[in-house]
This record gives sequence, C-alpha cells and structure tokens, in this order.
Amino acid sequence: MASVADPNALLADPRDDVEPRPAPAVRPRNVTRVFGVSPALVRATLSVDRGEIVLVRGPNGAGKSTLLRIIATALSPTYGSGSVLGFDLVRDRQRIRAATEFLGHRSRLYDDLTAEENLRFACRIHRIDGIGVRAALARVGLARGANDRIRTFSQGMRQRVAVARAMLRRPELLLLDEPYAGLDEEAKDVVDELIASTGRDGRTVIVATHDPARGRLAGRTLVLNGGLLHEAP
Amino acid sequence: MTLLRDSAAVAAKDLRIEFRGRHATAAVLPFAATVLVVFGLSLGPGRTLLQQTAPALLWLAVLFASVLSFRQAYQSEVDDEALLGLTLAPIDKAAVFLGKAAAVCVGLLALEAAALGIVAALFGLSVGHGAPVLAAAFVLGTVGLAAVGSLFGVVNESARARESVFPLLVLPLATPVLIGGVRATSLATAGRGAEAGSWLLLLVAFDLVFVAAGTLVFGSLVED
Repeated sequence: MASVADPNALLADPRDDVEPRPAPAVRPRNVTRVFGVSPALVRATLSVDRGEIVLVRGPNGAGKSTLLRIIATALSPTYGSGSVLGFDLVRDRQRIRAATEFLGHRSRLYDDLTAEENLRFACRIHRIDGIGVRAALARVGLARGANDRIRTFSQGMRQRVAVARAMLRRPELLLLDEPYAGLDEEAKDVVDELIASTGRDGRTVIVATHDPARGRLAGRTLVLNGGLLHEAP
Repeated sequence: MTLLRDSAAVAAKDLRIEFRGRHATAAVLPFAATVLVVFGLSLGPGRTLLQQTAPALLWLAVLFASVLSFRQAYQSEVDDEALLGLTLAPIDKAAVFLGKAAAVCVGLLALEAAALGIVAALFGLSVGHGAPVLAAAFVLGTVGLAAVGSLFGVVNESARARESVFPLLVLPLATPVLIGGVRATSLATAGRGAEAGSWLLLLVAFDLVFVAAGTLVFGSLVED
C-alpha cells in the first residue's frame, strides 16, 4: 500500500511498474536568469526526452543562448532548478559536462595550434581516446587541413573543426547555439549531418537557431520570446 | 595524478602556443632589455653604483615584463572563447591554474636568464660564486609571480577595464617577491649568499600561499 507521505505514489500509473518511463534527458524547472537587472530567461520549464531532437526558435536576444548555456552548465540559473541526464543542474555540473557537448557561436579553438592539435587537446581534457581525430577531420572535409593552423581557417572551417570535436566526443546531449551562423551551405550540411547522426544513435540534441531554412531534422519546436518559452503551434 | 596529468596537458598546450606565436617573447624580451639598458645609461659609468642597483633593476624589469606575459597567457583563451571549453571540460579547474602557471614560469625563467646575461654584461655584475642562491631566488620568485599572475589573469579577463585592472591587482601583491628577490640577489652577487636564507624563506612562504590559494579558488573564479 502506498504511503500517504509519498503523494506521487498514489498517482502512479500501475503500468509504470512493468515498463518504467525513462527520465527526461533535459528538465529545467522554472529557470530564471537575470543579468544585472535584466531578465534574459523567465521561469523556463522544459522537458526533452532522451533521443529527441528539439529546435528552439526565437529572435535575437530572446534568451536562446542563455537557456542552452544554463543546460550546458556554463551559466547558473538565478532562480529555479532542474536536471540534465538525471543529474542536478547546479550540484552535479562535472557529471553533466562529461556527457554534454555545447557548440556555441564561437568555435573555442586555439589559433596557433593546428586543427589536429586542437582536437587532440580536447580529447585529453575530455579523457577520450584521440585515435579517431584524423577520421573525424576527414568526415567534416578537413583531411588535408589537419596540420594547418586554425589562424589560417575561415569561419566555416573553424566550425567544421568544432563539429569534428563534437563527433569525437559522441555526447549523450548535444547543444547547438546558432550553429549555422556565418556558414556556407556545404558547412551547414556538415552540421546537419552531426545532428542526424547524433539523433540516429538515440542521443539528444537541442538546436537554437533563427535560420528558418534549417531545423527540419527536429521532431519538436519550441519558441522563446522575451525570455518566455512555449511550444510552437 | 589526474590533476598533474591535466595540468601538464594545459602547460604543454600553452608552451606550444607560445613557441609557435612567440607573442609573449616578442613583447617581453625587448621590453626588459630596454628597461635595463636605459637605466644602465642613466646611472652613468660608476661601476659601484651600477652593481648596487643592478639587482633591483633586474627584478623591476622581470616584474613589469611578467605583467605582459600574464596578459598574453590568457589572450589565447579569450580570442575564441576557448576558456569556456576548459571550464566545460570535466577536469579539476585547479589543473588549468597549475598548467597556466607552469607555462608562464618556463617562459619567465627563460626571460630571466637573458636579462641576467644583459645585466652581467652591462653592469659588471658577478654571478659566478652566488649562482646557487641566485638560481633559488629566481626560481622561487618566478613561481610566486606566476601563481599571482595566473590567478588574477582570469579575474582580469572578466573585468571591463582589463588593461588597467590587472597591474592594480598584481603589482601590490607581488611586492614581497620583489623585496625577497632583490635582497637575495644582492646578497648572492655580493658573495654573501649564506645570509640570504631568510629572504629565500619569504619567497617559499609566498609561493606556498599563492599556489595553494590559486589551486583552491581558481575553480570558483572561472565558474559562473
């Protein structure tokens, strides 16, 4: 018999005992982020299942980057709580980080290292085998640029290296913040291939973009405007 | 062991960047050389005065040059938001502090060797018999400077007026290194290295405090 002290147990679906539903991959609850006195995100609540590809749309300054950075644990929520991959958003940052890749506006590369050296360094600090570095660069069309310094790369080539880094890491959760910005069509297709391959493997992807031509791979679209998050009609 | 391995990875990365770009060397070495030559010329040809002032001028040149080194050490992290990559990596953030401090240390020691050569040639400073004490003073002083610079370098990156804030934070804190380094160097070059023990101990204490402080608080400085 269910205990009165556990009200959720009274509401539980008896089928849950047979086939438990997996916990959502991403579940921020009433998350608010304030910069100074300006709220960038207001009471955002979201539930993304494992294996889902979700698109977050919204104009510039809507709070998309803030939402993704909070999920990536790059920013702390001012108020609110939540979990990512079953770990607490604030207390278990290191565990979330070990399984999450965040690809933002900037590629986070070192100009004076080559593409291969950048990826090898990323492998070392993420504790993954660097054996696939060359193959990852080949997949994004940079096999011949592997030994060139990042300083000589265009924005599109930099983004390809960042995509190769995400491929190497094979994260449980992939967060992409405006990944198509400044890219040509070929490079945008490389990003789409990353999203598709991540989704095919049953891993979770959240993409924030205001590029109306992209995001066809997403199963669900959310809209952020003025810091408020809601499902797209 | 993991902390040391991660620190070594960060240090190797920083040294490779410096070796390729020579950003710090290109700015720091000419700066230190200019300071020493200009002071040497302005003090005149009196050998005794030159030798008495040489240790202080040497350490002043090292201190000002180190400020440039610290800024450069973080520039590569800021240019393409690479510091966020280190923050989001599942490593102890103390490894970033220790790795950056180690890389800055290596660069500064190379600069100090060159500056010492300039001072020995221009000021007629004798470094032969006091070499062990001199080496200890420079290694200990450099560790302390690197720890302070690497700790406050990251604070500086988030400051709006970063160019002016950094020297204001670092220079007053580095005063004990300057005093201990100058006194130990003076005694070593005067052939009284055996009396430099207390000044070397001051440098050891400074190193312990700032390496420990950096290891403990660096994580909270880079985290939001």
